[in-house]
Amino acid sequence: MKHLFTAALVSSFALAAPVAPTAAQAEEINVLMFGMPYTVGLAKLADDFEAETGIKANIDVVGQDVFESRITLSFTGGTGDIDVVHTPVIQVQRWIQAGWLQPMTDLVSEETTSDILAGPLGAYDVNGDQWALPFFAGVGLMSYREDLLEAAGAEVPQTWAEMLDVAAKITTDDQAAIALRAVPGQGFNMFIFPMVMRAYGGTFFADYEGGDLTPAINSPENLEALNVYVKLINDYGPAGAGNFNFAEVKAAAENGQVAFTVEGTGIISQLVDPAKSQFADVTGIALPPGGPAGRSPAIGVHGMGIPASAPNPEASARFIEWAVSSETVAKIAMSESFPDFTTASVAQNPEVIAKYAAIHPDFLTMRVAALDLAIGHYRPLIPEWPALGQAIGESVNAAINGLMTPEEALEQADADMRDILGL
Amino acid sequence: MIDNSPEFRVKRGIGLTLMLVLLAFAAVPTLWVLILSFRAPMAIFQPIWESPLALTLDNFFKITRSNFPSALMNSFITAGLSTAFAMIVGVPAGFALAKARLSGKFVASWVLLLLRMAPPVGFVIPLFLLYVNAGLIDTYMGLVFAYMTLTLPLVTWSMWNSFAQVPDELIEAAIMDDANLMQAFLLIALPAARPGAVAAAILAFLVAWNDFFYALIITRSGTATAPVAVMNFISYDSVDWASIAVASIALTLPILPLMAIANRYIVQSLSGAVKG
Repeated sequence: MKHLFTAALVSSFALAAPVAPTAAQAEEINVLMFGMPYTVGLAKLADDFEAETGIKANIDVVGQDVFESRITLSFTGGTGDIDVVHTPVIQVQRWIQAGWLQPMTDLVSEETTSDILAGPLGAYDVNGDQWALPFFAGVGLMSYREDLLEAAGAEVPQTWAEMLDVAAKITTDDQAAIALRAVPGQGFNMFIFPMVMRAYGGTFFADYEGGDLTPAINSPENLEALNVYVKLINDYGPAGAGNFNFAEVKAAAENGQVAFTVEGTGIISQLVDPAKSQFADVTGIALPPGGPAGRSPAIGVHGMGIPASAPNPEASARFIEWAVSSETVAKIAMSESFPDFTTASVAQNPEVIAKYAAIHPDFLTMRVAALDLAIGHYRPLIPEWPALGQAIGESVNAAINGLMTPEEALEQADADMRDILGL
Repeated sequence: MIDNSPEFRVKRGIGLTLMLVLLAFAAVPTLWVLILSFRAPMAIFQPIWESPLALTLDNFFKITRSNFPSALMNSFITAGLSTAFAMIVGVPAGFALAKARLSGKFVASWVLLLLRMAPPVGFVIPLFLLYVNAGLIDTYMGLVFAYMTLTLPLVTWSMWNSFAQVPDELIEAAIMDDANLMQAFLLIALPAARPGAVAAAILAFLVAWNDFFYALIITRSGTATAPVAVMNFISYDSVDWASIAVASIALTLPILPLMAIANRYIVQSLSGAVKG
């Protein structure tokens, strides 16, 4: 019995030895990211970073829900167990306001920042400080089935109104026209719906750029846009389209269920890749449709920041500079499906250009054209946006699923916005 | 006598139909996951009758190249250790609570119940802070300790009940025959309460095996368990349904033999049987 107890005690100490040493030890950092082609590729290059700098990087790439839970605990507890954190641009204002990030203005070099696209970089410039460096800028593009358009005798729609006409021609009992994200969420239907809203001249606020944040979600322009969005999904979408998210949209396009999708570049690049989609050879790419107020492709930017409690910010910044460097990003662009880089010099890399041109000749050109049209505050860059986006998204989804009329949905969204903003 | 009356046959028909509906309700999702695990990724959203031959074993090979197998091993290690430690402490504790004349038994029983009733989310922040400062994040021991807050009360309560059914006379007779308390416990009471002990161990293992919340908070890449690793197949722009299906099956398979064993012992344990 005595031996058994001793063995148990010894094994307890052995088991308590950390599998991954903590960041408190010198020259070792913990990086927490959520799964994207870039982050998966980055994790595979961790040894390169250690060889170059002598700093060991424990890069943990997890699902988005797992990520949210872990950062919430780490940030609110101020535990310092994360040295570099995945920082979506739509969260950055809220995290800064909560004191969860530390600025990296003086920690990163001019040489690094000068090679990053100005738009995505500027999205992390808040109150004169740089809070993260971007590595990803995904924009909205439209994919369309050339064969189905030809069979219907239709042209590629340039506006959402034309999309309604073309969708009506294509839709039959066996063929749906379009799949769009519809589930509620600031990153789900609120990644897509503002493209329709802004095309019709709708906005979230009376004058965002002028600083007037009075809600304007129940405007006639937004109502017209919501009617179009609801009609496209309900009348011309596949069965169950009212609760599609990006995975179902992608699957519907890959299986030939629909002729059109309007999605982020990460998904569009897979739809035109013959290795990933059986209809890739008859799938074309275009800018998202516009409207009376022009086109406004969706934009989503992701970067890397340093948590306020990170104990060794110099090592964190060194990792981030390495992670967004031309050499590292080019390696990931080659090894993964990652055309959404923000490091400018990678766009000049002949191997990278050749890789994505081989997948689809128009892809990189269309991406640049969409980036030129995209506005940085496509989704408002304010701390309250995550809550606002969720509330508006729920009302928009309720309109799609017939729980409210579009008018009621926008009135509800307006009331929710005022409630969240304390107006 | 067999009842062949029309009324009985109608009742039996309705009963059987209800049973089949309930069985289908429970079994269809599992069957669906099984089919998904063999479907080619491009056919995963197609009805099976449209492309019945779009089947592949690649999903299984693919998951072996991911971190999931090591996560599965982490689940085995932590669930196994937390069950073993809970049994080492909980079985004697259950014996003491059942047989010793202790004044605080009532309080002890409520404290144990409270531990089982408290939702983990209620004490996750203090636990997390404690673990960060103690260096227990991403360690097997940290997760095992956390799981013991689930398994130890379960084992102790269960064994308290099992030992209570062992007649006091058996233990008193052993002591009268010069056995000491440890011998009476190990040689008389424990064998008599074996069905309860096996059932308690299996239920404790299942509780730890299926845990998601503690592992989500306490583990990192080094010790992530299988339920957490499944979530990592959902990424920013894709959901790897095929891998999720394979992972779900891999998570379920080890449970099946345990359930087969548990079934017999749980019934024995609940019916109050002690090994005579």
